[in-house]
Amino acid sequence: MNKLHFKVGLFAVASLLLAGIFTVYLLHARGFFEKTFHLQLAAASADGVAPGVPVVFSGIEIGRVTTLGLNENGGIIIRTEFLGRNAKWLKENSTFTLDKPIVGGAKIRVDSPDLAAPALPDNATMLLLTSDVSKEIPALVERVKAILANVEHLTRKDGDLNTTLANVKTVTGRMTGEYGMLESILGSPEKARAVTESLEKTRALITKLDGLAAKADQWLFAEKGVAEQTRESLAQVRLILNDAQSSLKKADAMMANAVEISANVNEGTQDLAQLRAEIDDAVHKANDLVNEINKKWPFARNPEVKLP
Amino acid sequence: MNFLATSIESLGAKVVGWFTVGYGMFAFLVQASLLLLEPATWNRATFDVVVKQVYFTAVQILHVFLGYALVISWLIISIILSTARDFGLTEFASEMTIRVLVLELLPFLTALFVALRSGSAINTEVALMQVNNELDALAHCKVPPMQFEFLPRLVGGVVSVVTLAGLAGLLALLMGYLAIYGMNAAGFEPYTQTIAKIFDFKIVAGLVVKCALFGLAVTLIPVTAGLETPKKLFMVPVSVLRGMMRVFFAIVAIEVVSLALKYI
Repeated sequence: MNKLHFKVGLFAVASLLLAGIFTVYLLHARGFFEKTFHLQLAAASADGVAPGVPVVFSGIEIGRVTTLGLNENGGIIIRTEFLGRNAKWLKENSTFTLDKPIVGGAKIRVDSPDLAAPALPDNATMLLLTSDVSKEIPALVERVKAILANVEHLTRKDGDLNTTLANVKTVTGRMTGEYGMLESILGSPEKARAVTESLEKTRALITKLDGLAAKADQWLFAEKGVAEQTRESLAQVRLILNDAQSSLKKADAMMANAVEISANVNEGTQDLAQLRAEIDDAVHKANDLVNEINKKWPFARNPEVKLP
Repeated sequence: MNFLATSIESLGAKVVGWFTVGYGMFAFLVQASLLLLEPATWNRATFDVVVKQVYFTAVQILHVFLGYALVISWLIISIILSTARDFGLTEFASEMTIRVLVLELLPFLTALFVALRSGSAINTEVALMQVNNELDALAHCKVPPMQFEFLPRLVGGVVSVVTLAGLAGLLALLMGYLAIYGMNAAGFEPYTQTIAKIFDFKIVAGLVVKCALFGLAVTLIPVTAGLETPKKLFMVPVSVLRGMMRVFFAIVAIEVVSLALKYI
């Protein structure tokens, strides 16, 4: 036996066998041994549909568009072809939708909600719906354009936004100066300097006033201060007045006795009445004085000097 | 002026040279084809040489070649699959894999493989025979070298490249299935669908013709290059060098034309 020939023979047989198997497999895959199933789709427009566009069911291609044509009424008739084994997915309640994604080619999507429904007969005609993302794009573009125009208007060279931004820029520029925020508000470093200077003066003044107030406090309200002394002297004044009042009362009593004693003496009486009037007047004056003092220094409640 | 004239002259000489080489190859091919059509050519002796040629070109290197095809296919499939996943284009991955590997890359690599291994050997052998006057001796003994030396090599080359490319392609299809769907039969239907979509009659015929042209290029060009060798021993390496360069350009040209016909 020739070893070389055997090997080549083996190689040839294996290759031919594989080639044969692959050919049969390919013929099977392309549906050579099966009946083809035809379906016609009626559509309003054949936009994006061409021979070769796939028909997919659940994302898997089950058929293809073969030809396109017009019917008597000017409608579009799309003829599709399916392998016999794939026809079972086409039911009488199936919907056919033309999908045109932005990326990728168009495809016809089959949705069969109820797989128990009766199957479509061969050469049936179904309606093709369209779900076209690209048709919504023009409307979208219009809206985007309007928005962009607004933005453009806002940001134009002499626009409000630009002016505002320029102002902000000036202000922030001033903020970075020596006087910071103050300068940004007042507009110039000179004005800002004036404000800071006057603030400094005010501060010095307040310090001085503070010292002054402390001294006044000490002078007025401390122990042995002016206020204390005033109060003490006023108390003395009251005591004096009280004394005066009591002496007046005694004088009054004495006077009454004197009136009774000299009841018979008519002439003398008139003089005494005059005296009495004069004393009354003095008491009134003293009373007024006491009231006046009490108004200012409220130490006693009933300061009235009464005459009997 | 003189310089210009010289350069134009040298360019003309080159063009004439290319035409001579091209014509020589074409004439040789026509001669071989005519001989192939003659029933007398198909005798036992010629057949034996064809078998021998197939053995040396294809069978002897089969295990190495298939291992190499396996590694290359596995790598390319992995790269395509992961890239497709990254870009969310998994649905196109299987089609892409098959198109890149089975239709383009594997036939091209097969042609290069055979050219480097057998093409260079044929070129050297024919050049040595030419230098040593063996071809004249054979013709003198009523053994026409075209029938017993050259034609079997062409046939063997074509058969080898077509078969090797086919086997590598089948291996790549299997690898692609395993890489995409794993060790189960669940993906058989969609994979079959993809294969059915790609391999229509035109594509299969184009693939076979392309492989046959590759096979022809890797044997015909070395044979004609060998026959051109001047009868000096030191010219043999130059002849092999020229022959291999031409083979390379021919393979690239065939690939480019096939791509252009397929996708443009």
